[in-house]
Amino acid sequence: MDKEQLPEFLESALKRLTQAPPADAVAVERALKRLSGPLPRQKRPLWRLPGVLLDWQFALAWPRVAALACCAALGFVIGIAGVDRHFDRGGPPSAAASGTDIGSIVFEPEPLTGARP
Amino acid sequence: MDDSDEALMARIARGDEAAFRALASRHLPVMLGLARRILGNAADAEDVAQEAMLRVWTHAPRWQPLALFRTWLTRVTVNLCLDRKRRAPWVALEVVGDIADPALGAGEKAERDERERLVAAAIGALPERQRAAIVLTYGDGMSNAQVAEILDASVSAVETLLVRGKRNLRRALERVIDEDK
Repeated sequence: MDKEQLPEFLESALKRLTQAPPADAVAVERALKRLSGPLPRQKRPLWRLPGVLLDWQFALAWPRVAALACCAALGFVIGIAGVDRHFDRGGPPSAAASGTDIGSIVFEPEPLTGARP
Repeated sequence: MDDSDEALMARIARGDEAAFRALASRHLPVMLGLARRILGNAADAEDVAQEAMLRVWTHAPRWQPLALFRTWLTRVTVNLCLDRKRRAPWVALEVVGDIADPALGAGEKAERDERERLVAAAIGALPERQRAAIVLTYGDGMSNAQVAEILDASVSAVETLLVRGKRNLRRALERVIDEDK
């Protein structure tokens, strides 16, 4: 082949060599099998967010409202009846420090275990 | 039921996995072949084709049917091929089953096969965008406008890529011819 025949040869060779090869069935099968696993999360466009908000259901869920009202009433009764008052009237703390030796309290960790008093 | 690509994409956008598998089995073999011809490497091509199909799934809710689905998918695949930084060496495709040419003797056929191997090696040595333009134009028979859309370039830029690609191939072959003499 000489240089004059080269352009013609190149055109025909390019057409032959760049043609799609016969499908590799094994590779296709392998790739499809990998795609059959769990798929990643889809990317949702942000412009759909207002639509989601507009679709939101604001109808009252009566069982939830009733539960909330019961909780509020229970808290009110506990507060009025003073059921929680004895927690405030507890005795003096068992390890109360006097005002004079307050500076001597040093919280040193145990040397071996590292536990704090 | 409408099973066109666009209809399947609409279903995929709503999270329909069965539609995605139908679309993947329809287009994966073609995208695998395209990636194989651009990358020249079967393992990388498989990864790229799979990644392209996964992008179909993840981007389906955002996809707008401004162009044909096939064109968009080809663009995704070609871009993934071009972005592939860590590339395995290019391996020339086997010369696909030649049509028997009674005019060619055994010696002439061997000589032609050898020359085609040289062309295949020269295609492998081309810059990626030139190679992609040549594969899409000669292999898939796309027009320059279609290739421009896929490569995100102007038609004149595609023409330049093709001219430069063919000039590089011609120079490589001329060098071999000169060495033979």
